[in-house]
Amino acid sequence: MDQVFEGTPKAEIRLEDRRVIRGDVSNDWGSKLQWQVSRDGKVVAAVAARIDSAYEHPEKTPGKYEIVLQLFKYINYKKDAKGEYTESKFIDISNKVGYTV
Amino acid sequence: MLHVGNEKVPVCSGVNRRSFLQAGAAGMAGLSLPAMSQLEAAGAVDGSKAKIKNCITLFLVGSPGHLDTWDMKPEAPDDIRGKFKPIHTNVPGIDICEHFPQMAKMMDKVALIRSLHHKTGASHENGQRWMMTGHDFTADNPKPYAGSVISRLYGPKSNLPASIILPVKIGNTGTSTPHGQKAAFAGTAHEPFFLGADPARSDFQVANLKAPAGQTEFRINARRNLLAELDELQRRTETKATKQRETAYSRAFNLLTSPETKRAFDLDDEPDKLRDRYGRNTMGQSCLMARRLIERGSRFVTVNHFDTVFNIACWDMHANGSSLNNTYLDYENILCPQFDLAFTALIEDLQQRGLLEETVVAVVSEFGRTPKLNARGGRDHYPSAWTNFLCGGNIKGGQVVGSTDKIGAAPHDRPVQPPQVLASIYQGMGINLETTMMPGPGSRPIHLIDAKPIRELF
Repeated sequence: MDQVFEGTPKAEIRLEDRRVIRGDVSNDWGSKLQWQVSRDGKVVAAVAARIDSAYEHPEKTPGKYEIVLQLFKYINYKKDAKGEYTESKFIDISNKVGYTV
Repeated sequence: MLHVGNEKVPVCSGVNRRSFLQAGAAGMAGLSLPAMSQLEAAGAVDGSKAKIKNCITLFLVGSPGHLDTWDMKPEAPDDIRGKFKPIHTNVPGIDICEHFPQMAKMMDKVALIRSLHHKTGASHENGQRWMMTGHDFTADNPKPYAGSVISRLYGPKSNLPASIILPVKIGNTGTSTPHGQKAAFAGTAHEPFFLGADPARSDFQVANLKAPAGQTEFRINARRNLLAELDELQRRTETKATKQRETAYSRAFNLLTSPETKRAFDLDDEPDKLRDRYGRNTMGQSCLMARRLIERGSRFVTVNHFDTVFNIACWDMHANGSSLNNTYLDYENILCPQFDLAFTALIEDLQQRGLLEETVVAVVSEFGRTPKLNARGGRDHYPSAWTNFLCGGNIKGGQVVGSTDKIGAAPHDRPVQPPQVLASIYQGMGINLETTMMPGPGSRPIHLIDAKPIRELF
């Protein structure tokens, strides 16, 4: 019996200075939760988000930063020759927040 | 002398009393109170002194690698220590995998057993039999599942079966040998009730509680009455088999018609926030249901975390590029987070309801995984060393029992064998392991389990 994840997980995030804070995840599939940090449109970090409900990205490189909360969506365990998932993936589950350095 | 079935059997105490260990004597309400008193008088069980009234077993089918979870070796060479890093827990000196951050906050409640091992083969089914029954055996000489033993010794507390397995039976895990989740000599009346469906799905219905097509409750009750009349006739030529069948029928009717029973399986009764806390996945919602069932009278609930090891994300991390292609990615993204949420939600929830004191939660698996990573970066079966753990009841948390050597290849001190885990649970549940016997092959009496409890746990 393989697992099927239903519904739409959602969470609200907000900024306090450069510290991003998340609320509870509704319809939480219980898979890996992470902060995805982008700078000038390019992903620069993915940081585990279950351990704490707040995160401050330490990088000070100038640029426009954007942060979103993501949850891993399991579809199946298929992987390519490099061992990467072919269908399962992280999806955005929150609003995006940003700041400029 | 205790009676097991129709046999008189000697016990170490030399007590000469009738036993109620026949499943047939259980009747519609399970074991009768007078019979329970007889067994208590015989010293075989003593529920009044039992610190542990209930057990929830989380069975990690496929088996997590001990070096990647609860027995990490950060100082070992690259090809042994693996990809993950350890984190500190709330107990100084006990570190666990970084992907169990919630569990790390409640390690003071958990007793890790890091020196489990067995020598009877590296198949999943070998380990399943050990952990579910406390024995290894062949199909023609089966031993009873622990839940069936508890059902037989204590009977049901409510209309719910004493022993329930969620969400489904273990299916194909490699060989066609027994999985150890059947009543065997405990008797058909004590077969575990299998939920038979995924409680995380929106269309969830308990497969085994659905009336057959075209059957109304009225018709079911009419059939019950008819059966009762037939049973009256049968009693004149009663055999053990007819008695057991009667109990099984009664249980089935109770399950089909009792509103309380149906409600026990209805997770919509739970607040959304709590369902989210457990995780909206098969494991999480099964753990939530386990709590509901214990709360409403079941005594022994097992959650099978996966029913197979093939073509799904599960703990069986061979990374073989084919039907057993679980890797670190699956551990990191799915398995560890799911377990971390579900296990810790269950402990919190039981504690908040005052049930943790009387409920032991046992997290068990079939074996460990090879210390050395295989060529594809996975780990294969390894029964020579692994880690399982217990909490709740009167288990002393915040401790580690036993240890493995520097690369997790073998127990270094205090080796623990699989039956000792069940022996500990049985003893905690008030069962005298010296005097309690069960019917074995050809009704020959056998001890429930041939092992000493793990003394450090209590």
